[in-house]
Amino acid sequence: MRGMKIYEARRHRNKIAVVLYYSAAVFGITWLVLILFTLLREGVGGLSLSVFTQNTPPPGSAGGLLNAIVGSLIMTGLGVAFGTPIGLLAGTYLAEYGRGTYLAATVRFINDILLSAPSIIVGLFVYEIMVAPMGHFSGIAGAVALAVIVVPVVVRTTEDMLRLVPGGLREAGTALGMPRVLVISRVAYRAAKAGLITGMLLAVARISGETAPLLFTALNNQFFNANLNEPMPSLSVVIYQFALSPYRDWQKLAWAGALLITFAVLALSIVARLLGSRKVAQ
Amino acid sequence: MSLANAVKLDLRTKIAVKNLSFFYGDSIALKSVNMPVYTNKVTALIGPSGCGKSTLLRVMNRMYDLYPRQRAEGEVLLDGENILDAKQDLNLLRARVGMVFQKPTPFPMSIYENIAFGIRLYEKLPKIELDGRVETALKGAALWEEVRDKLNASGLSLSGGQQQRLCIARTVAIQPEVILFDEPASALDPISTAKVEELIDELKANYTIVIVTHNMQQAARVSEYTAFMYLGELVEFGGTSHMFTSPDQQQTQNYITGRFG
Amino acid sequence: MLSFKKLEHFRTQNRYPLLLKMLSPLEKSGAKAKDESGSANSIGAFTALKYHDRLWFGGEFLVQALEQMTLADIAMESGRVAYISAGQRARVLRSFKFRDASFHGLTLAAALAVLILLGGVIVSLFIGALPAIKAFGFGFLVTESWNPVTNRFGAMAPVYGTLITSAIAMLVAVPIGLGIAVFLTELCPPKLRRPLGIAIELLAGIPSIIYGIWGLFVFAPFLQQYVQPTLIGAFGSIPGLSMLFAGPPYGIGILTAGIVLAIMVLPYISSISRDVFEAVPPVLKEAAYGVGCTTSEVVRKVVIPYARAGVVGGVMLALGRALGETMAVTFVIGNAHRISGSLFAPGTTISATIANEFTEAVGDLYTSSLIELGLILFVITFIVLAAARYMLMRIERKAQV
Repeated sequence: MRGMKIYEARRHRNKIAVVLYYSAAVFGITWLVLILFTLLREGVGGLSLSVFTQNTPPPGSAGGLLNAIVGSLIMTGLGVAFGTPIGLLAGTYLAEYGRGTYLAATVRFINDILLSAPSIIVGLFVYEIMVAPMGHFSGIAGAVALAVIVVPVVVRTTEDMLRLVPGGLREAGTALGMPRVLVISRVAYRAAKAGLITGMLLAVARISGETAPLLFTALNNQFFNANLNEPMPSLSVVIYQFALSPYRDWQKLAWAGALLITFAVLALSIVARLLGSRKVAQ
Repeated sequence: MSLANAVKLDLRTKIAVKNLSFFYGDSIALKSVNMPVYTNKVTALIGPSGCGKSTLLRVMNRMYDLYPRQRAEGEVLLDGENILDAKQDLNLLRARVGMVFQKPTPFPMSIYENIAFGIRLYEKLPKIELDGRVETALKGAALWEEVRDKLNASGLSLSGGQQQRLCIARTVAIQPEVILFDEPASALDPISTAKVEELIDELKANYTIVIVTHNMQQAARVSEYTAFMYLGELVEFGGTSHMFTSPDQQQTQNYITGRFG
Repeated sequence: MLSFKKLEHFRTQNRYPLLLKMLSPLEKSGAKAKDESGSANSIGAFTALKYHDRLWFGGEFLVQALEQMTLADIAMESGRVAYISAGQRARVLRSFKFRDASFHGLTLAAALAVLILLGGVIVSLFIGALPAIKAFGFGFLVTESWNPVTNRFGAMAPVYGTLITSAIAMLVAVPIGLGIAVFLTELCPPKLRRPLGIAIELLAGIPSIIYGIWGLFVFAPFLQQYVQPTLIGAFGSIPGLSMLFAGPPYGIGILTAGIVLAIMVLPYISSISRDVFEAVPPVLKEAAYGVGCTTSEVVRKVVIPYARAGVVGGVMLALGRALGETMAVTFVIGNAHRISGSLFAPGTTISATIANEFTEAVGDLYTSSLIELGLILFVITFIVLAAARYMLMRIERKAQV
């Protein structure tokens, strides 16, 4: 049969292709596993109680990451607190009031650009508008830089999640004589609650590992500092500084910090996923 | 129907649709429709898909206002007052003209809240009275016995038929004058459908009802008046038994006997 | 207690139907009303007496808001709040209007803030870059020199580094990422599918600084010891290729940065592609398998064409990230301001230059040149993103035809 020959050739090609797919998967996943493995090995080696109780040490001596952890928490918290409301409201505008308008289309496009804008540029921007006029680096500038990163993330997820809310639910609210503000705040937000929280958690995960926007806004601080008007240390900037240093102690702390950040980000992402699997009620 | 006739039949017009045309952007969906909706009667709108019956229904509480590029021309008089008027307060209109949708749309909150929420929009009631109203509404929707022990459960935990009755209860709770039903049973099983139809029959004692349906048996069962629409035009309006036995228009006859649509 | 006199008043005004509607709940509840003699009578009795014989009214009649008010008053007076008064209702409606308008305004302001944010980024970068733009003009783009001592700055080396590392990253990551996605949707045993998919998605969220220090401490030494000598040995004598693999194996350099970037964007590409592959309607795939297509044929003829727009979008997003990435690159690129033909040579990228030098930059021109670099990076990513949008739009339009 003549067709058999063609079929054999096709089967052969298929085999090669499948082998390629498999090896791509194995190759790619191996790298990723290797990275996590190294991180775990080096990071656990560097972890100890003092990491959480002592401040960053001077070169060549032992110490901890307490000040950096606290700084990261403060700036991340403030960044989310500044950025989320704006993102939530703007996302609401896109999904509810602005549907179909040119303004909404423009804002959506601009937001996409902000979402993909290199984070180091955000750092430059905040340096220009805050650090340079104030004359010094500060924790508050770091928080603002992080907030600038939070806004587009929250805008995006808010809009997406509100769009998943069935139109029928809005109509039902409207049909009861509810004004739009209540339809949105009591019905749509409630229906999309899990999704909105997911969006916020993802934003937290995103900024908790950011380094570039903090480099020249919050800078760094070798000492414990909770004063927002002064340079503030953060885990990621400390990792950057310590990893590039020649001192073994600092490098060990850098690995420990990397492990901490990764854990925090993974935990946040997992919680977000668990919530997000219920994205919208109904 | 002449006024004299209406008087003889003890009919009062709740909603009068006059020369109503409706547009989705540039395309026309309703062409100069004229028809009455009588107080405390059930009026069914029937016709093939895309004939404009749902559009007509959505004009009656101006639901179309939610969407850009949709507009209506003509008059729709609710108790003599033109609801298409720009000055019409939409929230008030919708409180007076309630609507039940094709798919059940319980809000993502408890069964109790689903009903109490709408009541609280316009009325400030003490808790005990609110409880009473919720109970009355649920009883009115024949749902009370099934949910009395789980009022705090999510409205979404109910079955489809129960959800739909919850939505009816929610609509009834705010005491509208008119209730619009948009194919309320098309997503339900036969038993739930029968319950909803029974409910509609009971509701007409206190409310004026307009129902859009695909199911002609349903129209025949629940309505007293029927409007047959085709391609955006009102072909015929009349008493349901008259329409289903000896319609005036050939088109109506064809549709009812299943020759098209 | 309400008086029959008032009810009578409505009757004379021909408002029976509405009156009845208002009365019926009261009637049911057994509320009482005072009659002319002052004795209480049930409203039911009253309505039966006075109105049932004239129940019909016929035709249409007008109901004014005024009526609503007076009728609602009856209800209020009867001691049961069946309806709120029109005054109250009007207040509620006014407050709705106000809240609606203010919330609308608030969301609009937030949306405008997004616009202002981007405008602010562009304007502030431009102002910051102005001294450098004035000093070097267009020459900035084509000058390789980067000399803080003589105050001569040019962007060519970092721009070249940015483009070449991203190109390497895409060359490596796109085929592998798509391979992983195909594996996950078509070949993977169902039991592993979900956990692997989730793992990949989680990896996409790991901060880039992690990839950076891994690259510095693990990957670069590995390349230096094992891979680079082999490559030099293999290609060093072949004309053309020898140039690409010339020089001593430092470990860190352009190639290393490109590969680390590739590993970093890999989870992006595979998780986005997986999502769009999974969105291919199963019926389509079944139809293709049904006519005897092999797995690879289904992938090439059905899955990829159907998911093309999404894949392009995912790849562009990954490219955008690679171009702007700072931390994964800064550790391993070597930070040398020169353009070298060899992939092993150290180089720099825009973001690495800014990260390394910004806080230490002395003098306005130095700082300003770094900001101009940022502006250039922004323009590049903007172009990539806009191109991605344009391509997606074209693909979508084609699909519609």
